[in-house]
Amino acid sequence: MAEPADTGPAPDPGPGVPEKTPEQTEVQTPEQTEEQTVAGPAATGTGPGRVLVAVYGFFALAAGARAGWQIATRLQEAPLAYLLSALAAGIYLVAALGLASRRPAGRRVAIACCTVELAGVLVVGSLSLLIPDVFPRATVWSGFGIGYGLVPLVLPVLGLLWLRHTRRPAPG
Amino acid sequence: MDDGLAYTVIGTAMVVAAFSGLMALLGRPPRLPHLVGLGLVELVLVVYAVLAMGKMFTGERPDAMATFVGYLLTAVLIPPLGALIGWAERTRWGSMIISFACLVVPIMVVRLQQVWGVWDG
Repeated sequence: MAEPADTGPAPDPGPGVPEKTPEQTEVQTPEQTEEQTVAGPAATGTGPGRVLVAVYGFFALAAGARAGWQIATRLQEAPLAYLLSALAAGIYLVAALGLASRRPAGRRVAIACCTVELAGVLVVGSLSLLIPDVFPRATVWSGFGIGYGLVPLVLPVLGLLWLRHTRRPAPG
Repeated sequence: MDDGLAYTVIGTAMVVAAFSGLMALLGRPPRLPHLVGLGLVELVLVVYAVLAMGKMFTGERPDAMATFVGYLLTAVLIPPLGALIGWAERTRWGSMIISFACLVVPIMVVRLQQVWGVWDG
């Protein structure tokens, strides 16, 4: 591959983060150099972004396992709540894949997922407090995700901020 | 489920979470000790899961078995998932991911104990 060895450093990890040590720069993975040959936006799935991918992955798993089991065993008890939990799990999974993806479509998918998530947690969170009868069983988004330490509310905001942060190519 | 075992899982996970968190603060990428730590957490989790399954098949059931099994499956999958994603990130953020994974495990165990009906929720 005739490509420049180093077309730019990894995405700026943000303020307060010291420069990489030589030890860290030498272990750059092949895909990191490959993706930066195109002068597109910085990668969303590396550095702090990979933490987001992991958290989205955990949530997809946790919400998915719970919702899957509930739907399989007692869907009639609270169909809306359980289906909504399953939908949330699906969105978390797609968001994780979108953030991890190196393609421009991945970024668009991630933006869409984070936006839907934020809208979902705000609407469902408000509804669950104002009209509790709509969701007789708790969903991931009930009470703005209080059952999950408010992570469902914070996560889409962090996701959108990170996507905005990596919109432009990494400097240098 | 047995309290001592639950505390063992929680304690192991907290120690590995603290270690990985410290490594992340120091800017160190994940190394072998991280993986050994995650392996230990996984080991005690599997022991917990096997004993819980054994109890379920011999009559003693949690109050909400569906939820319990769902959480149990999730909990057991977290350390391997953390290892996969964390190891792929060869920076401090990889250590951070492993630390997060280890912090999720105690939360899952507390929930598991609550669902089983031994700990107040």
